[in-house]
Amino acid sequence: ELAAEDLIEEVSID
Amino acid sequence: MDALLGEPWTLSPSVALRPEPFGALAYHFGNRKLTFLKRPELVTVVRALAAAPDVRTALETAGVPASQHAAYAAALRGLAATDMIRPRTTVQEAPR
Repeated sequence: ELAAEDLIEEVSID
Repeated sequence: MDALLGEPWTLSPSVALRPEPFGALAYHFGNRKLTFLKRPELVTVVRALAAAPDVRTALETAGVPASQHAAYAAALRGLAATDMIRPRTTVQEAPR
């Protein structure tokens, strides 16, 4: 099983 | 099956991709969003979008197995939510 979370991770740069 | 797979998409013009050992960093100069692309295959897919007739072709070009297309489509929708990638229209932005 591959999930979207395994592929991308949004980073907060605030 | 996700309809996105049959659509033409492209990397947003405001996005820079920086290669990293794990994949790439995607930075959007317009909205200042930063996203990790955590698989080299996903980076290949994103770079292949512009020249591919649709997302499915870009996935196949990158060697992503069909069993993972749904996960990649979900990830691409995540990228679309922050304008990292956008639907490709027939009228491209004119060069200045």
